[in-house]
Amino acid sequence: MDFRLTPDQESLVEAIDKLALQFQQKPTEFHGFALVGDDLERELDEGGYFDIAQVPELGPLAAALAVERLARLPFASEFALSMLVRPQLSIQVPRPLTIVENGRPARFLTTAKTVLVIEGDSVGIAHPSVDAVEPVESIYAYPMGRLTRTLDVERLSDADAANVRTWIRVALAAEASGLLKASLDSTVEHLTLRKQFGRPLGTFQALRHRMAECAVLVGGVRWLALKAAGTGDAGDAALAASHAQESATRIVYEVHQMFGAMGMTLEASLHLWTYRLKLLLSELGGRGGQAEAVAKYVFDKKE
Amino acid sequence: MDFTWDVDQQAFRATVREFLATHLPPDWEAMAHGPGSPSQTAFSKKFCAGLAQAGLLVPHWPERWGGRDADAWTAFILAEEMWEAGEPRGGQYMNVNWIGPTLMRCGTEEQQQRYIPPMARGETLWCQGFSEPEAGSDLASLRTRAEKHGDEYRINGQKIWTSYAGDADTCFLLARTSPGRDGISIFLLPMDTPGITVRQIPSVIGEGDIHEVFFDDVPVPASAMLGEEGKGWSVVRTALSLERVGIPRFALASRMLHRAVDGLKKAGRFGHGAVEQAARARAACEAARFYSYSIVDQRRHGLTIGPEASVARYATVMAERLVGEFVVEQAPEALAGADPLLLAHHQRAIVAGIASGAAEIQLNLIATEFLGLPREPR
Repeated sequence: MDFRLTPDQESLVEAIDKLALQFQQKPTEFHGFALVGDDLERELDEGGYFDIAQVPELGPLAAALAVERLARLPFASEFALSMLVRPQLSIQVPRPLTIVENGRPARFLTTAKTVLVIEGDSVGIAHPSVDAVEPVESIYAYPMGRLTRTLDVERLSDADAANVRTWIRVALAAEASGLLKASLDSTVEHLTLRKQFGRPLGTFQALRHRMAECAVLVGGVRWLALKAAGTGDAGDAALAASHAQESATRIVYEVHQMFGAMGMTLEASLHLWTYRLKLLLSELGGRGGQAEAVAKYVFDKKE
Repeated sequence: MDFTWDVDQQAFRATVREFLATHLPPDWEAMAHGPGSPSQTAFSKKFCAGLAQAGLLVPHWPERWGGRDADAWTAFILAEEMWEAGEPRGGQYMNVNWIGPTLMRCGTEEQQQRYIPPMARGETLWCQGFSEPEAGSDLASLRTRAEKHGDEYRINGQKIWTSYAGDADTCFLLARTSPGRDGISIFLLPMDTPGITVRQIPSVIGEGDIHEVFFDDVPVPASAMLGEEGKGWSVVRTALSLERVGIPRFALASRMLHRAVDGLKKAGRFGHGAVEQAARARAACEAARFYSYSIVDQRRHGLTIGPEASVARYATVMAERLVGEFVVEQAPEALAGADPLLLAHHQRAIVAGIASGAAEIQLNLIATEFLGLPREPR
């Protein structure tokens, strides 16, 4: 065990931080749900960041650090699956990636070049043509789309499918970790500045304790996501995704509650993180699905 | 960043496990119920002496005091294995974790020579004289007085909820030498000093765990004061910060969760509701584990530990609570004679959010010092 970043990991985190600074602010004129980060995506592509997991000195752990940092931005871009799942596929596939689970609408589907198609227990890969997808209006803070027809799917072996599920869980936890951190930070700022009854909201113990509990959960999600990325273990990934979805379920409620009416407006930024989290809550069967995976990979294994 | 154990760490853990396998008696799990009971206290003295002989009691202490200067990971692996086994060191874990190190930092040569070697040999039990009837979470308001009379002090007052006081040899006592936070001093007080009365309080934790301690004009020489007069508060704050992640509660909680799940599976009772609840609890245990590990890692690299120790402590409280709730809902028979260690764990888990600073105090610290929220008005 050693939690210091290696010099290579430190350099990567610094570079991602520098890149992220340009995309830190929501454009003031934007009042929608999905703030699509095309420029962010282009910069990541040009910098070769989508392939960092394959760099031996960096690996999936560094990719998870990058995903966590980038998810804190108000912009929605497809980097989590590209950075963490795509390198684990047995064949090279073009990005962006998305997941269509049991025929449901999916994020980034209208621009995705590779679709991970999940139907019950099976996982396959498809490359949709432009006419096979259409945009769909939604209140999720991702650009959403749906399939207009059935795709030709190359079904993965059971072992490959299990591995893909593991890395989807890692990606989910890493992305949720960043989204949770950003929504927490934003709420701390609100509670510090907003005054009621003559004093900042953040001085009221009824709110302080709940925020502190949220902070404990958020940090825990980050630790479990990083560990899962570091080990690639199916049990670690299941625990990370389970903790991410459990924590997000509570925290999305709490941060909106504390933001009050201000958090209901699209002028505030809060929904740009929380309405991405809401979509991630349903991934791979939601909390029930992750619990089944914990039962399979953790409780069936001797300690 | 590396999430794997190195060869030395794996070997050390294996050594500790081997020691436990050969030194815990067959009836240990039944004995673990009652952490301060006479039978466990007597066993713990024998067990700790054996640990000391094997070099496994205080490996992280300096060589001068019987250790081998092992790093923070060694100390924590040891603590993890001990707690996971049901803490066969009994109350002596406090000597190892913070009383010994505090004496090394603040004690006089005479105090160190008198008290540290018996701790390193596993021969002595201490209790902490902190809480009082009117000073629990607000510890700094404690009232027990130490008044100077010539070369000695006279102690008058009462401590309460004191673990291990019934069998302790020495008390790490906080007493007031003047008003305010700057008026708290520490005394190292032999428990056989005339004027001390100990009364056991029956508790949900188990036999012999908590006590009331009365001090009636107890004489104590000035040489028994630890550190300077009136400087006790900062010493004890440092000691309590060591204690915040001193007990790897997540280790036993996780083991007990697995044991409960195994039992449910055998009985065909590990269905959907139980699976979800177990997964939630298991993930919370793992989060608490890595929070604690991050503190150990900081210690290992000589970094100052900040409010993240409170975060780690609270994560552990959350994990203990979820495991406790799981057992009560899904395996209630564990608390009614089916499994003594599951029972012992459940009894001890209630302490997680209360001992060494209430969980709500930790939440306040997290809000102010970790999140940076404005302070509450006083």
